[in-house]
Amino acid sequence: MRHIRAIAGRELGAYFTSPVAYAVLVLFTLMAGFFFLLHVESFLQASSFYDSQWQMEAPPDLNINDWVLSGYYQMLLLLFWFLVPGLTMGLFANEKAQGTQELLMTSPITTWELVLGKYLAVAALVTIFTVAVALLTTLLFVAGNPEAPRALTGLLGLWLLGLAYAAIGSFASSTTQSPLIAFLLGWFLLMILWVVGFVASILGGAGAGTPPALVDVLRWLSSQHHYEQLVSGLLDTRALAYFGFMIALFLLLTKASVESLRWR
Amino acid sequence: MDASSPTIEASGLVKRYGDFVAIAGISFTARAGEVVGFLGPNGAGKTTTMRILAGALPASDGGARIAGHDIFRAPRSARRAIGYLPENPPLYPEMDVQGYLAYVADLKDVPRPARSAAVARAIARCGLAGEERRAIGTLSKGYRQRVGLAQAIVHEPRVLILDEPTAGLDPIQIREIRRLIEGLAAPGEGAEGGAGVTIVLSTHILAEVEAICRRVILIHRGRKVLDQPLAEITKEGQRLESIFVQLTLREEENAAAQAAEAPQ
Repeated sequence: MRHIRAIAGRELGAYFTSPVAYAVLVLFTLMAGFFFLLHVESFLQASSFYDSQWQMEAPPDLNINDWVLSGYYQMLLLLFWFLVPGLTMGLFANEKAQGTQELLMTSPITTWELVLGKYLAVAALVTIFTVAVALLTTLLFVAGNPEAPRALTGLLGLWLLGLAYAAIGSFASSTTQSPLIAFLLGWFLLMILWVVGFVASILGGAGAGTPPALVDVLRWLSSQHHYEQLVSGLLDTRALAYFGFMIALFLLLTKASVESLRWR
Repeated sequence: MDASSPTIEASGLVKRYGDFVAIAGISFTARAGEVVGFLGPNGAGKTTTMRILAGALPASDGGARIAGHDIFRAPRSARRAIGYLPENPPLYPEMDVQGYLAYVADLKDVPRPARSAAVARAIARCGLAGEERRAIGTLSKGYRQRVGLAQAIVHEPRVLILDEPTAGLDPIQIREIRRLIEGLAAPGEGAEGGAGVTIVLSTHILAEVEAICRRVILIHRGRKVLDQPLAEITKEGQRLESIFVQLTLREEENAAAQAAEAPQ
């Protein structure tokens, strides 16, 4: 436990002594705020448009839950695509590039302690970011009357998505000594998880003739499918299981990848 | 274990990379208070041997005990008993000296209540007083080497392994680092209360060996070709340099002769 705390603490300290990490977090919080404003603004404009054009019926999703909450949270997925691989890219790659790997390998620590310590540091940052989004979401409750459970499942979804992406990014970082390659690989893996969902919705369309089992598997693999379930207010245990599975799988892969270094 | 039993027992260490044999059966023992110089041309296998002993690399064959702990069966106990300074000191540029040494102390299982005293002692012994709050990245190369030494001794290991501790330093820095090493080897300063630590250091500077080592191990083409107290070598009126040249060149000639005979 002490090793894990020491490793996580050093990693967090490194994030906050480097101006780059501050810049990244501030930039992404600003972007999250900007997207938030964008959704609120477009909601207000659309509302006043349909108010003035009383003969036209407003679309059914023109309400604060679907338009602002869900719309906004779905856009945050895009932010996490870039934010999380950016946070994880240096985790293991930097140790190799700096030669500090030698210190870790010759210390009486286990591979799990190393992997979990590093992961917890990124998890803490993902949590900070989720809290920032939670604060923005609270503004909706001041101004309007959204569904609180839906906001909560959305936040839970965002947090779990970030944690799963962090595990994937950790694995990417453990395979290389270049943070840039780690970023690209992490981003590529996230792309795959997105593309399978996209493919599933094409193959699942009427008349495609694809076996439904395949469509189900592809849809199950896609992270945004589970995220959307939570964002739409469904506290779906399959979604929770999916994120738990992804975190466990990629932490295991990270451990195996770090361990394989010893044998080279 | 009593003070007279060896602190390093290496037996038949072999490291192969595919067909390439980096070391081909290295055995030696060393006792408390001994300073052993590892000599040999580049690529002889010095670093490989040291990394195996430090736990950074598994051996293909053979084994070793550090302070009585088998490095493969009880790696964590063995690593607690060893301090290792790789050729490139494993430093985090963004950390300050004190924070870094406290982190290393955590990794090396220095008991928590003893940590600040251990860090202060390492800082004092390595001449880093006044630099505690400096970021490592802003230190000169000589001072960074001192921090590297400090991380190797912060947990008061019984065995110290130093890979080219003076490489790349200017003559004054070399003299300072040498003094530090001599101070570390002096009995009565280590945790063992009198027996002193065992130091294995590799270098290309023969004068350095003559100045601080009591014993010389010459490694050539992955084999130990000489293992003698320095006093015996110099007693016969020979210079270390001539022995070094003789042994490494004779080996070269033998190898060349074998290669020439091989086709017949």
